[in-house]
Amino acid sequence: MPAPARKYSQPPEPGRLLRLAAVAAALVLVLFPILWMVFASMRPTLETLSDPPVWLPRDVTFAAYGKLLADPTQLRYFFNTYLIALATAGLSVLLGSLSAYGFSRFRIAGARYILLGLLGVQLLPNVALVLPFFNMAQALGIHNTYLALIVADTSFALPIAAWLLKGFFDSIPVALEDAAMLDGCTRLQSLRYVVLPLALPGLIGTAVFAFLWAWNEFLFAVVLTAGPEAAPLTIRMSQFFSQYGRDWNGIMALNVVASIPLLVAFVWLQRWVVEGMTAGAVK
Amino acid sequence: MPRSARELTGYFFIAPTLIFLALVIALPLISTVKLSFEELEFRSRSTTFVGLANYAELLGDRLFWRSLWNSFLFALGSTVGHLVVGICFALLLQGGWASAALRNFARGLLILPWLFSLAAAALIWGLLYQATGPINHLLVASGLFGRPIDFLGNPDLALWSLVLINVWKAYPFYMVMILGGLQAIPGDLYEAARIDGAGAWQRFRYVTLPLLRPIIVATTALDMITTFTTFDLVKIMTNGGPMRSTQTLTFYIWQVGLRDVNFGYGAAMSVAMLLILGVATLLYLRVVSRGIDAGAGAEI
Repeated sequence: MPAPARKYSQPPEPGRLLRLAAVAAALVLVLFPILWMVFASMRPTLETLSDPPVWLPRDVTFAAYGKLLADPTQLRYFFNTYLIALATAGLSVLLGSLSAYGFSRFRIAGARYILLGLLGVQLLPNVALVLPFFNMAQALGIHNTYLALIVADTSFALPIAAWLLKGFFDSIPVALEDAAMLDGCTRLQSLRYVVLPLALPGLIGTAVFAFLWAWNEFLFAVVLTAGPEAAPLTIRMSQFFSQYGRDWNGIMALNVVASIPLLVAFVWLQRWVVEGMTAGAVK
Repeated sequence: MPRSARELTGYFFIAPTLIFLALVIALPLISTVKLSFEELEFRSRSTTFVGLANYAELLGDRLFWRSLWNSFLFALGSTVGHLVVGICFALLLQGGWASAALRNFARGLLILPWLFSLAAAALIWGLLYQATGPINHLLVASGLFGRPIDFLGNPDLALWSLVLINVWKAYPFYMVMILGGLQAIPGDLYEAARIDGAGAWQRFRYVTLPLLRPIIVATTALDMITTFTTFDLVKIMTNGGPMRSTQTLTFYIWQVGLRDVNFGYGAAMSVAMLLILGVATLLYLRVVSRGIDAGAGAEI
């Protein structure tokens, strides 16, 4: 916000106090559910469900975390999710930066419609694809494997990745590349040694987007997996409600540990994505 | 480099993406359309062409229309909720009410719910919605309600309980977009409005809102399209119940197509959904397309 504007939008003292109180109230409302999850992960289920509620944990225990980290089946879900999300992010950024470079630096017939088509793909209802996905995965013998989920997740992450990366490449001056190519760089080398390093924040931001999408994806996972061999954490979480004798302590420990990559992503969102996105919105 | 070679090089760069998407998006879409004209004989694993029979079934299926309506209500409720909370929080964060560091910190914390998966949110809210949970405790203790509310078991309430979770999870996207929009509004405009005697509400109504319009239109259109296809919360928390009050179209398609292995009918409903959302998507793309002409970046 430009400096002169602040002078006018600066509220008077009582208004400012009111504003601080409102922000505090908003924070409490929004963060309480997250706090309640963390609390439930570090106290016995009995205390979590007690009536009236015990607002601050009394009987603090980290046994649920220990149990979680010692259970190979549970850890398998974590491994599956990391593998699927990382592969989706990698594949999306790889293919996405190639096509983004193509759209950014070359004249391509109908580029405008292809780009809009890519945006349209992002808005397709996933469910319209799941029946063929299921059939194809069965036919190819890759049902309940990582490959099936990686391909399915990439199908939706890639178009966004291409769009985001095109924006970044557009902002890198062509003159830099011309210099490199005069020195004998090929197009691919120019992309690799000139454009990609300059677009690194964009690459990471895009990878974070794709990673988060795959990390949180559920419908494809329901359709394409059958058991802990390849199923991600969202499947494990979804099974909780159909269980008898719900172990809220254990599932919330899992939920907290599953949120760790989200917190890492959050730092990036703060530093880069939020600024990048808002810049795009107001351009 | 000769011009023609240069042009060909561009196609090599975009080819891998287009081929990939042709295989995993276009081909399956065609396959869905084909399936919708067929009936699968499960035992012999053979399919027969049945023409428009699946579509005829769809028109008379009350559950289809019910699911469509539920999806619409969910999308509408979520979008309105996102918009109201998003604007309020963006206005709250806007301006010089505290140091920049504190404002950034508050903004960061208010973005947090956006990062969680709906599955994780389902667990969190499943616990909050318990009969002995904190929400019910406060409602009963405040004297507003005589006994705990059955958030997910009451057919009149269950869908809105899911909407509330979705509002909590996804409002930050609006908040961030609108904050960006607010920062682009020149301070002079507010000054001029103030000199003309406009109060706080009038400044919001006649300066802020009209200038935010493009962002609000694009964001809500995108949101309507994505929340209309909601599945996760329904599958995880209510399984479409109680009494099908939370059964959305995506859930019904999954149930019919994959759980009950009625591929043909599931595919026909998928195509119906594609057509409904296709119209909405085309409208959205037209808005974005105008943005490209005006030189704006991607509005995601």
